[in-house]
Amino acid sequence: MELAELAWLIPAFSFIAFFLIVIFGRFLPGKGAFLAILAIAGGFGVFWLVLVGFLDASASSAGCAIAFGQKTCIFSREWFTAGSVVLNWGIIVDPLAVVMLGLVTLVALMVQVYSLGYMKGDPRFGWYYAVHALFIASMLTLVLADNFLLLYVVWELVGVCSYLLIGFWFERRSAAEAAKKAFVTTRIGDVGLLVGILLLFREVGTFDMSTTFQAVSSGAVGEGTVTIVATLLFLGAMGKSAQFPLHVWLPDAMEGPSPVSALIHAATMVAAGVYLVARAFPIFEAAPDALVVVAVIGLITALMGATMALVHTDLKRILAYSTISHLGLMMLSLGAFGYTAAIFHLVAHGLSKAMLFLGAGSVMHGMHEETDIRKMGGLRRVMPLTALTFTIGALSLGGIPVLSGFWSKDEVLLSVLDHKVYLLPFALLVAFLSAAYMARVLYVVFYGELKAENRSVHESPMVMVAPMLLLAVLASLFGFLSIQATDEGGIGTFLFFDKVHDFEPNVGLLAGSVLLAVAAFALCWRIYMSRRIDLAPWKARFAWPICVWENKYYLDDLYQWGIDRLVLVFASFIALFDRVVINDVGVNGLGKSVRRTGFILRYHVSGRVYNYALGMAVGAVAVTVAWWALAA
Amino acid sequence: MALEAFQVLSAALFCLGLYGVLARRSAVLILMSIELMLNAVNINLIAAAAHQDSAFTGQIIAIFVITVAAAEVGLALAIILRLFRNRSTVNVDEVDLMKW
Repeated sequence: MELAELAWLIPAFSFIAFFLIVIFGRFLPGKGAFLAILAIAGGFGVFWLVLVGFLDASASSAGCAIAFGQKTCIFSREWFTAGSVVLNWGIIVDPLAVVMLGLVTLVALMVQVYSLGYMKGDPRFGWYYAVHALFIASMLTLVLADNFLLLYVVWELVGVCSYLLIGFWFERRSAAEAAKKAFVTTRIGDVGLLVGILLLFREVGTFDMSTTFQAVSSGAVGEGTVTIVATLLFLGAMGKSAQFPLHVWLPDAMEGPSPVSALIHAATMVAAGVYLVARAFPIFEAAPDALVVVAVIGLITALMGATMALVHTDLKRILAYSTISHLGLMMLSLGAFGYTAAIFHLVAHGLSKAMLFLGAGSVMHGMHEETDIRKMGGLRRVMPLTALTFTIGALSLGGIPVLSGFWSKDEVLLSVLDHKVYLLPFALLVAFLSAAYMARVLYVVFYGELKAENRSVHESPMVMVAPMLLLAVLASLFGFLSIQATDEGGIGTFLFFDKVHDFEPNVGLLAGSVLLAVAAFALCWRIYMSRRIDLAPWKARFAWPICVWENKYYLDDLYQWGIDRLVLVFASFIALFDRVVINDVGVNGLGKSVRRTGFILRYHVSGRVYNYALGMAVGAVAVTVAWWALAA
Repeated sequence: MALEAFQVLSAALFCLGLYGVLARRSAVLILMSIELMLNAVNINLIAAAAHQDSAFTGQIIAIFVITVAAAEVGLALAIILRLFRNRSTVNVDEVDLMKW
């Protein structure tokens, strides 16, 4: 038996944990939270077995083959047969899936341990862990799914879990609203995904991924269709990965508990869109036009997210805008054929951003759910470990050398330089901005003077700090995977599309991006720390763009206007049609006409026998006459 | 005599009886009208029997009809009697106790 085949156990553990906690959780000590943690810890253990098994497996092993230059193992069973269509369900184990498995299980494990401290004493503690387990199971199945139908099912499941966890404190109206907004907005994208999947099914007659990809790359499907399919799939990815113009739900999703933001809205679920594009890369490769769309949308998203992160003052929202910006960068990279770079950045960003969100949660925990960064400052004096991890995360995302974000962002820029060079200036601007906003948050929250009212703030318990520290170590070291230090090479020899990705640093670009990052940190130092630069005149001069950024490019207002003026008007027309035509004329109309006919007819029912006898007599005569006349 | 004459007489008698059943309100008169209709049928049967070679079939049926009519009248008059005792009327319009 192949070790790699064990991969199905990883989501299965968490699924079982979900059901056990929901059914028996209330009778168990700690409301069953340990079950969820055990399940994901087991999953993390199995991940290593799968990794070893996958590395050992050769292309001739059972279920394994070379697809698009990569070793790909597929273990599939029949699901059901509908007419001539046989549906399988199974798992696909390839470098992409293995990398995602590692990221999801690791971050999930860290976040669940952290949550033990963060969610302590919450009245729905058990339910929190149950939904967490369900989310992890769905996310892992999404990563492993070998056909589009299964992928779509779990794609929606992670959406549901996201909804449940954003609205976890649904007593707060804003949380309930945010959950609804997230669900509806992502559903808009999901419609595109579903249509794309069905269109593909119509073209190739199967949901199976490897068959589909082979058909598409061999040119069996027309290029126009492939472009449409790729664009529709990307629409689904846009919803999940918060790409412009469907990004509006992610900042609001910060209403959920911070560990949820760390796991779902930073490291894993929002990366599902990037994963989908990477998974379906053979389709995108066959549709260069769609790839341009991916790149441009990614760039717009990256720029928007970065600029909004510059001016907002809510700690978690800044991180959310930063997530949007980095997801945009990943999409940009995919659009520029940077398959390895995008996934590399996904993992590096996931590790760093999960840690940052856990740090933000730790700050909020200490400051009684305060999120306004203007009320913070100098927190490193009272929460040194949180400050340390947050600093590492911020520097990593800012692109300061040897931290993981530096390597991955450089790869992204490199792919843009190679394939979409006209977008490079904008990409560099995003790199600069992302360093600037991370520097701003870092300095404003953790450095400078400690405010008097914050002197009583204390460091979070070890159960919360330890996962952050572990993630910090990984976020610092992960980037070294890109270096071709050994004969085995870096991650580019493991995870690539079609041909081995070799990390050849472009010295000019490398120096430029480092210079930009350092410049951004230095600039923010002068603004927020040494206060050599006074921001006030600049704010006055650039009042209108700042106003636009603070109002989120007025997109929320535009959507609200659209919903109020267009959707509701259309809906009220439909409601009117329903009330007048369907209800009054149709249902009630039928009833009324029967009633009216009966009202008229009942005058002809006298209840007197001789009236009926007369009728019988007349009828008998009429029948006789008619028979006679016909016979004659 | 031609068969038609008997048949016309029979039809006229039947229509008289039918009219009586439809137009009268008194239960006794309705009963008498029914007797008229039965007799019209009897005339018809006898005439047809006389007109045919084998005369017995019609006559036998006519005797049956008379017998049944006698029994029916006995029963119906008894009902009408009880009705009159209970309701002090034989007007069929007023006998509507079981009507909704």
